Amino acid sequence: MAPLAPTTVLRRFWRSPWRDIAQFVLLIVVVVWLVTLSSARLGYNWQWYRIPRYFWTVRNGRPVVGELLQGLGYTLQLSAVSLVCALTLGLVVALLRLSSSFMGRALSRVYLEITRNTPLVVQIYLAYFVLGPVLGIGRFSSAVLALTLFEGSYMSEIFRAGITSLHRGQWEAAYSLGLSTLDSYRFVILPQAVRRLLPPLTSEVVSLIKNTSLVSLVSLADLSMQARVIAADTFLTFEVWFTVALIYLLIMVPLAITARWLERRYAIAT
Amino acid sequence: MPSLPDIAPLAPSDAAAAPADDILIIEDVFKSFPGVEAVRGFSARIRRQEVVVIMGPSGSGKSTLLRCLNGLEQADSGLIIVDGIPLDDNHAHRLEIRQETGMVFQSFNLFPHLTVLENINLAPMRVRHKSEQEATARSMELLGMVGIADKASSYPAHLSGGQQQRVAIARALAMSPKIMLFDEPTSALDPEMINEVLDVMKDLARAGMTMVVVTHEMGFAREVADRIILMDSGSIVETGTPDTFFTNPREERTRRFLSQIL
Repeated sequence: MAPLAPTTVLRRFWRSPWRDIAQFVLLIVVVVWLVTLSSARLGYNWQWYRIPRYFWTVRNGRPVVGELLQGLGYTLQLSAVSLVCALTLGLVVALLRLSSSFMGRALSRVYLEITRNTPLVVQIYLAYFVLGPVLGIGRFSSAVLALTLFEGSYMSEIFRAGITSLHRGQWEAAYSLGLSTLDSYRFVILPQAVRRLLPPLTSEVVSLIKNTSLVSLVSLADLSMQARVIAADTFLTFEVWFTVALIYLLIMVPLAITARWLERRYAIAT
Repeated sequence: MPSLPDIAPLAPSDAAAAPADDILIIEDVFKSFPGVEAVRGFSARIRRQEVVVIMGPSGSGKSTLLRCLNGLEQADSGLIIVDGIPLDDNHAHRLEIRQETGMVFQSFNLFPHLTVLENINLAPMRVRHKSEQEATARSMELLGMVGIADKASSYPAHLSGGQQQRVAIARALAMSPKIMLFDEPTSALDPEMINEVLDVMKDLARAGMTMVVVTHEMGFAREVADRIILMDSGSIVETGTPDTFFTNPREERTRRFLSQIL
C-alpha cells in the first residue's frame, strides 16, 4: 500500500473522533499548566490529603458524615423543594398570562417584571430579612421562597414559549371537539408543549441548582457555605473550592443524562 | 323539485318561530378582522339531513363563516342557532354547540402525541364520560367505517394525508354530532388521496348526516349537495340546487366563477 499523503492523513484525523480527544487532552494540559503556574507564583502549598475528612470520617468504627456532604445534602434538598415550587408557580403564571382574564394577565406581568429585573441576591435578602419575619417563616422556607419567586418567572416564560409555539390548529381541534379549556391544556396542549420545552427547562434547572449557592449569603448551611467555613478555618482555599466546583459539576451530569433520556423517551414522531 | 328554503334575512322573532326542521339558523352574520370584512351579512337556514356546499373564490369569507358556526371565531353581529341553542356569550351554550357539531379541518389537526385510537377516544371519554371500553368499541367501529381499522395504534405522523383526514372525520363523528362542518377537507391532499376522503363524506351524506361543506370539489358538490351556495366578498351571490347552479345559474358572477374553475 502506498504511503498516504500528509494532507490525507491530516484530513482523516480531522474527521475522526481522535480530533475531539486530542482537543480535550490539550485543554486539560493547558488548565493544569495554568493552575500549577499560578500556584507556584503564589507559593501555594497544596494539601489535597486534608480534603477527604470533610466528606466523611470514621469515628469509633462508624462513618461520620463530614461538612461537605452535609452541605451537599442541604443543597440538594433546597434545590428539590424549590424546583417543585418553581415549576408549579411557573406553570400557573404562564397559564394566567395566556388566559383571557385581565387581572390574571396584569398580575403575572407585574410579577414577571419585578422578579426578572431585580438581582436574585436582593430577592434572597428581602425574603430573609423582610418576608421571613412578616410571614413568620424560617430560614429554609425563606430561601425556598426567594428561589421559587426568581426561578418561577423564568420557568413561566419557558412554559409560555412552549405553549404558544404549538400550531393553533391543535387548540381549534380540541375546542371543536367540545373539550373545555382545562381539558385542552391537560390532554392536548401541555403534553406537546412539555416535550418541546424540555431542553430549555433542563438548563433552567441547572441554573436553579447553581443559584442555591447564593443562599450561603444568609448563612444557610448549603454546600457553598460549608466550603466557605472550611476554607476560612484551614486556609485550604484552592483545594476546597476546586472540590466544591467539581461536586456541583457532578450533580449536573446525571441531570443532563436524565433530560436526554426523557427527550428520547417521549419524542413525537414527525 | 323541493322548494328552496327562504334565505332572506329574518327578524329574530321569526327565528324563534322557525320550524323544528331547521337545525341550523344563520341570520345576518358579520365578521371582520383588522383591515378585512370577511363575512358581510350572511343568512341561511339549513334543514336536518341537508348537505350544503359553500363555494367561492379564496378570500370570499367561506372558511370564516364556517368557523363562526361553532364559535371558533366569534361573529361581530348576527344570530347563529344550532339545534335550538343560540351561540352567544354564554360559555355553556358554546361548549354544548361544539359538542353537537363536528369539524374537519384542511390541515387535519390530529393530535400528534396520541395514537389514532387515542385521538378518537379523547373527546368521548373526557366530554361524554364514556368508559375506555365503550369509547374504544365505538372508535373501532368508526375506523372500520372510514376503512383504516388496522391503523388504530399508529401515530398520525405514520399515516398518509388521506388516512389522517379520514381519522379526523372519525374523531369528529365519535362525538355523535348533529352537524358536520368541513373546511376544505381535501385541499391539503395529494390528488390520488382526494377520492378516499370524498368517498367517506359521500357515505356520510347518504347516511343522513347534516353537512356544511366548504370545498372546490365540483364532482362532490354535483353528486351529493342538496344546495350550493356561492359566496363572494363575504355574502351570498347565488344559491341553488346543483342542477340549476351548474347548468342554469341566474347570476353573472356565478357564471364567471364557474368558467374559472371548470
